[in-house]
Parts: sequence; structure tokens; C-alpha cells
Amino acid sequence: MTNAMIRVKNVTKSYSRGGETLKVLNGLNLEMDEGRFYALMGPSGSGKTTLLNLVGGLDHPDSGDLFVAGANLSDLDGAELARWRADNVGFVFQGFNLIPVLSARENVELPLSLTGLSRAERKKHAEYALELVGLKDRMNHRPKQLSGGQEQRVAIARALATDPKVLLADEPTGDLDRKSAEQVLDLLVRLNQEFKKTILMVTHDPHAADRAQSIVHLEKGELGRIEHNAPAAAK
Amino acid sequence: MLKLAWRNLIAHPIRSILTSASVCIAILLLCLLRSIVTTLDAGIEAASATRLIVMSSISLFVDMPVSYQQRIEQVDGVDVIGKWQWFGGYYQNPRNFFAQFAVDPEHLFDMYPECQLDEEAKQRFLSTRNGCIIGRKLADDPNFAWKVGDKIPLVGALFPHPDGGAWEFEVCGVYTSSAANFDERTMMFQWKFFEETLRTSGQDPGVGVFVFRCEPGANVERIMGEVTAMFENGPMSVRCAPESEFQRMFISMMGDIPMLLGWIGTAVFVALLLGCVNTMLMAGREQVRDIGIYKALGFDDVTAFRVLVTQSLLLCVIGGAAGIGLTLALKPGIAAAIAAMFPVFIVADETLIFAAVLIVLLGLAAGIVPAWRASRMKPIEALRAEH
Repeated sequence: MTNAMIRVKNVTKSYSRGGETLKVLNGLNLEMDEGRFYALMGPSGSGKTTLLNLVGGLDHPDSGDLFVAGANLSDLDGAELARWRADNVGFVFQGFNLIPVLSARENVELPLSLTGLSRAERKKHAEYALELVGLKDRMNHRPKQLSGGQEQRVAIARALATDPKVLLADEPTGDLDRKSAEQVLDLLVRLNQEFKKTILMVTHDPHAADRAQSIVHLEKGELGRIEHNAPAAAK
Repeated sequence: MLKLAWRNLIAHPIRSILTSASVCIAILLLCLLRSIVTTLDAGIEAASATRLIVMSSISLFVDMPVSYQQRIEQVDGVDVIGKWQWFGGYYQNPRNFFAQFAVDPEHLFDMYPECQLDEEAKQRFLSTRNGCIIGRKLADDPNFAWKVGDKIPLVGALFPHPDGGAWEFEVCGVYTSSAANFDERTMMFQWKFFEETLRTSGQDPGVGVFVFRCEPGANVERIMGEVTAMFENGPMSVRCAPESEFQRMFISMMGDIPMLLGWIGTAVFVALLLGCVNTMLMAGREQVRDIGIYKALGFDDVTAFRVLVTQSLLLCVIGGAAGIGLTLALKPGIAAAIAAMFPVFIVADETLIFAAVLIVLLGLAAGIVPAWRASRMKPIEALRAEH
């Protein structure tokens, strides 16, 4: 028996560009279960990243409701949404988005400073997260001293440092070579299987999508088909 | 927060060092400008309220007849009076400048208790026709290194000696001063010697200023009015003012120095502010994506604001603290360099507090615009920014 971790109800979202209004999500309805790994696919402009940002509370829908990790995001103001993100969501971006002036450990520690943990506890947590992604020996390196794959693994360590319920990954393998991409995907599968994280990953790569348990297709801002793969496994 | 701000600053070392250095130099300049004003004011503040000065109403450089002394003495409430005349001589070379005055020695020490000299030296000064006393700083000046008993030959630039040679004075004592208004780089010699020497060539010296002290409880306003009115019809009209007012007039002869220094200081501050704002705007633009990351991680708008303001404050505090430190380190050197013009050089606590407040205001003002922008930025827009 699973519960919905993410519920999208009649969500619309449009952007103004050059005086023209572009409707990106058009009354979307979708439910995602807790503890599953979802891949979100679709052509460019289908609304994948927009949906990911709305689920992560980085943007507001024009209309409709979003229930994520038990909260109706439409009810939260800016500060509440920030707090909610800190408690419930971890982000992994295509461009890694590490703070360049901080070391790997300090980057992972950053979201932990929003918790009530002491400095020593934060350090311990960060080191554990880096150990989990296989980069404990690189913890004092700055992002520019790491390879792309290592940077992305640090970003994953940062995303899971606060033990969020949901991991949102936007093209996490988009900037990586095949080998690094496999390592990142293995890691995401492991986080889903061992730590029961609900993962929503936007990707263009069918190979990456195959690693997810479900593939959700978006087409012109509306829900397309949903495919279910065999149970995900680290390959 | 502090670590993050510091790391962002040292990520661009040249820019941060240059900006901090400009803050350092500007704060040093502002402290020095304020200290000059404080130094000028010190003479005014230390001036006696019971000593009054009489000078020509035309200018300080126009002399009054010696006979005025007796008439001023007769005004009810005038206690003691003395003549002062600027001698304007030099020792060996015109560059060896210091102040010299011909004075009435009889009441000098009564009237100026801040001029401290032992009794023996006082008596020697009173009994030596060409005797003089010199201040401690003048005696200690390595260019002169005078001591009691030394003969000082001075070339009279304003009052040449009748025989065409130098005036010769004998050092009878070295005084110290207990107040900022009484300079220790001054020489004073007997009026009688000055007058008698000039008269041998038929010259009749005038008086630069009369200084008199009122009797205790006397109505100072009335006395000033009576003295001024007494000479209203000539031959030389006078102006009578308290010593503090005289000091102020003397300073204003150089122009409105405090106002001029104030304008320079304001201009320096505005230029500095623009420089710091520019630096912080660049830093803000470079860190837009970082701001997006903080927000995505759950930091709120206030944190985004604080990140940039802390950076700006740190930049200004480092430079400003160095500026204050440099001011204190340079103080003895500056005091020595301007000793010929100012007896003391005062870097007041108020000046340092003013500088510290200015540094904080500067840091806040420079950081507030980029910080405000960062706090208002939507995380989505910030994350889209290019590094």
C-alpha cells in the first residue's frame, strides 16, 4: 500500500515572453507515490522542468493545487515555502550548482545550517553523505578541483544531507559522460531502493529513464502515457 | 555567513584588495582632516575666558600705538595688560621658521599660568636686557638644540637690526605649556630691549596686540565695549575680543578651514561610496546563481540579503580598520611634520568613533542595493543566471 507523495490537481502555468503568453502546463493532473523513482520525459517545451520547479516549490502555479509531502504548496507564502523546501526537498541540477567558493564538505553542510544541528553534527552528517556518494576522500576539494561526475555526486550528497522526502533531479546526467552518468544513476537508484526516497527526474535520455520505476510522458503541458518498468536496480 | 562572505571576497583578491585599500586611504584622509579641525579647535577651546585681546580693527598686521596701553589700563575692571609684537625673524636661514614675540615680561606669567617656568629662570628673564625664553619643543628641536645661556642670533625680517646685523638674544629659560593654546615652539623676549634697539635708529615700534586680564567678577561685555568705543575716533580704531574669538579670527585668516575640510571629506566619502557600490554591484551580479542555490536549498530572502550585506560590511570594515590603524600609526610622524604650525596634533576618540560609524554606514550603503535585488529575486530566475 503506497500513499501519494506528489499530487498535481488541475495545475496550469503560463509564461509571458515578448508580449506573448505561452501556456506551459494546461490543467495537469498527476499522482506520484511515495518511495518510487519517476522519470519525467517529453519533448522540449512540454513542461517537464516547469512541473519539477512547481513540485519543488521554486515557482507558483497560475491555478490548481499541488500537494507535496503533505503540504498544499498554494497555501504557503515565500518564507514558508523556503522553510518547506529546506525540510522536504533536495534538488539535483543539470549544471550541478555547487557554491564555487566552498569545499565539497562545506557545500553539503550548507543546507544543514538550516537545521538545529551543532557544527560538529553538521560536519558528521556532511561527511556521511559524502561517504555515501563515494567522495569522502574529496571532501576538502573545491568544485573546480572535481570532475563533472564528482561534482554531481557532491550535489546529490547535498540534496540528501537533510534527509528530504523528495529528490528532484533536472537532467542530472545531461552534462556528464556515459561512465559518470551511470554512476549518478546508480546512486539515484540506490537512494530510492535503500533509503526509500521519492525521486522525480527530468530527462531526455531514454537510457536514464529506463533506470526509473515509472516513466511519465508530458506532451504540450498535458499528461501523456505512463510506463512502468521492471523494478529498478543498480546495474 | 561570515565565512561565505570572506570566501566570496577572496575569490576576487585583486578587486577586494583594491577596494579595501581605497577604503583604507579614504578613512585615513578623513581621520586626518577631522584631526586638523580638532587641532585648530583645541586652541580655541583652551583659550581663557578672562583674557581679552585688543587688535587693530583693520587687520592683525596693522600696528597700534604704544600709548594705547595706558588708556586701556584706566578702564574700570582691567587688571593687568601686556604688549605683544610679532617679530618675524629667522635663525641663519629663512627655512628655520618659528614664532617670536616681543612681550612685556612683568605680567606674562600671571596672565598665562599655562606657561610654566621655574622661578629662577623667570628672574633671569626679567633681569636680562636681551633675555628670552623658549618653549620645550623648540629647545628640543635638533635643528637648534638650544639650552639656557645660549646666544641666539636672529635676522629681523620685519624689524632689521639698526646696525645691519643680527639681533642677539640670550636664552634665560625653557618653558613648558599645560594647555593646547600655548605653543611650546615659541620664543618670547623683552619688549624693552626691542623698543630701545629700534629707537636708536629713530624707529618707534607699534604694538601687534594688547592682551589684558579682567579683574575677578568684572563685566567683560562692558569692558570690551568701553575699550572699543575709546578708540572709535582714532587715530587707530580697535577691536576687542575674548581670546577664543581672537583664535577663531586667526584661524579664519587662512580661510574657512573647517568648511573647506568638510567639503573635501564629503567629496572623498561620496567617491568612496560610488567605488564600493560599483564593487558590490559586480559581486551581486556574479553571485546571482549562488543566491538561486541558497533559495532552492531553503534559505529565505533575508538570508540572501544578509549574504551580500555581510560581504560589503566585511570589505569596508577590513579597509576601514586598516585606515584607522594607519591614522594612529602615522600620528607621531604627522605631529612632528606640522609642529612648526600646530603645537599639538590631536586624533580625538570622537574622530575614531566617527570613522568607525562611517565605515559601517558605508558597508551598509554599498551592499544594500545588490542585497535588496538578491532578496527580491525569484529562485527560478536566479538559477537561470549564467556564472
